[in-house]
Amino acid sequence: MTLEEQVRSNRIRSAMLLLSFGLVFVGIGAAVQAVYGGAWLIIIATIAFVYALISWFANGKMIASWTGARPVAKDEYPELVRAVENASIGAGLEQAPQVRVVDDPSPNAFAAGGSPKSAYIAATSGLLGMMDKRELEAVVAHEVGHVRNRDVRLMSLTAVLVGVVALVSDIALRLAFFGGGRRRGGGNPILMILGIVMLILAPIAAFGIQMSLSRKREYLADESSAEITGDPEGLAMALQKLQLDKTELRHANRATAHLYIETPLNNTSGARSALSGLFDTHPSLEARIESLEKMGGFQLPALAGQ
Amino acid sequence: MGGGEPASSKIQPPPSRPRIIAGIVVAVYIIAGVVVLIAIWTVLIFNHLIRLGNEAKKGWSNIDVQLKRRTDLIPNLVEAVKGYAAHERQVFDEVTAARTAMQQASGPAQAGEANKQATAAIGRLFAVSEAYPALRASENFQKLQDELTDTEDKIAAARRYYNQTVYQYNTRLQSFPDLIVAKLGGFHEREFFALDSPAEAGLPNVDFSGGAAS
Repeated sequence: MTLEEQVRSNRIRSAMLLLSFGLVFVGIGAAVQAVYGGAWLIIIATIAFVYALISWFANGKMIASWTGARPVAKDEYPELVRAVENASIGAGLEQAPQVRVVDDPSPNAFAAGGSPKSAYIAATSGLLGMMDKRELEAVVAHEVGHVRNRDVRLMSLTAVLVGVVALVSDIALRLAFFGGGRRRGGGNPILMILGIVMLILAPIAAFGIQMSLSRKREYLADESSAEITGDPEGLAMALQKLQLDKTELRHANRATAHLYIETPLNNTSGARSALSGLFDTHPSLEARIESLEKMGGFQLPALAGQ
Repeated sequence: MGGGEPASSKIQPPPSRPRIIAGIVVAVYIIAGVVVLIAIWTVLIFNHLIRLGNEAKKGWSNIDVQLKRRTDLIPNLVEAVKGYAAHERQVFDEVTAARTAMQQASGPAQAGEANKQATAAIGRLFAVSEAYPALRASENFQKLQDELTDTEDKIAAARRYYNQTVYQYNTRLQSFPDLIVAKLGGFHEREFFALDSPAEAGLPNVDFSGGAAS
């Protein structure tokens, strides 16, 4: 599969994602209408349509406000801006994406937005403090890789859509259980059960979509980084530093987790890894470092105590 | 549909004239179909080669921009150092000669050689400047040093992209079906820019096959 095919497949997936988002909300609307009666189906479907439209055009801005990523000038962060410029040249992008910084001590980075022209790359202040020039360039090249592969629109859309599906079905479920006494008309019990099952399944499906997206894309972006910088070892060193770090990102949540270069939520490692593998948005850093080592034909010194 | 058994287990008659004509028509359709397919296929290859060639051109213009920036910065650097170390004539000459070579280079291969020469000469100039603390403390010099390091990084990044696209383009031009289209369409292989080893251009290339199944 070539880059063009990957780009095309990402475009199709973005459209499919919007479509299935619409279907999920028609389902939720039908479920709510079954439980409460009224014209909920049309109301919820309309709101979902408007939200999908806004998401398509403004997902980058939405994610920026959720994560606290603010645009920065070159004078303020010359090294970061240069790293983004250089990686964009190496990736053959028409222009370098915008650069943003999240003021947070936990080291992490992500890319968000739509087309390469409207996308941006965000790094936390913690990342900038921790990485040397070579490592920073490798991490930035990973994010530029997402932009070049056109992963960003799909991943950003997933973030804004998955978040709202989980939120809405959560609210609807709470209402169904705790506000049940006040409902009008008392609908068909079979329909009600179906509706509740629907509300439980919707967020699971949403997280399923989110997880299916992100894991392989991380490996691909790691490879892209190596291609852009010609330095897989730099990225492996950066990932090893992230591995040692256990701080959590303040503004991260389940919906945006898959955007980051490293999972921003649970930094507890060890025994739980076998089970948690099912719900992780990222492959383990160990596995990613190993595949970079294979690619570049080098071996990083093992971490003490791992 | 009809009620009775049709009494039609006759021996096949020799093909009549209308049948022969029908056969010819089918053959013509098949040939026309094959010709159309080949035409479409040729156009697709042609467009692909054009696109790869444009990518390579874009990659080259990225390098060219940075090479120009570098040649613009060099005289400023020489002036800045001269102010503090006027007698280091030999290094200045080297740098200036490298700059002239960069300006006169025609084509990526020559430009690559000239650029290597300039990198070495600028490196020596910076080494010389180590001996002059006042020079190294000057803001102007620091800024120039910073800018030149940046152009060097950007040339390296642009070089990688350019050489990768040229590698892809040239490989297509050399391989079988594209070869014919390339000959007919007047496509020519492009020069690499300062390629250190042949393996450098081809490796590593991202394989997206894994991403398809997710």
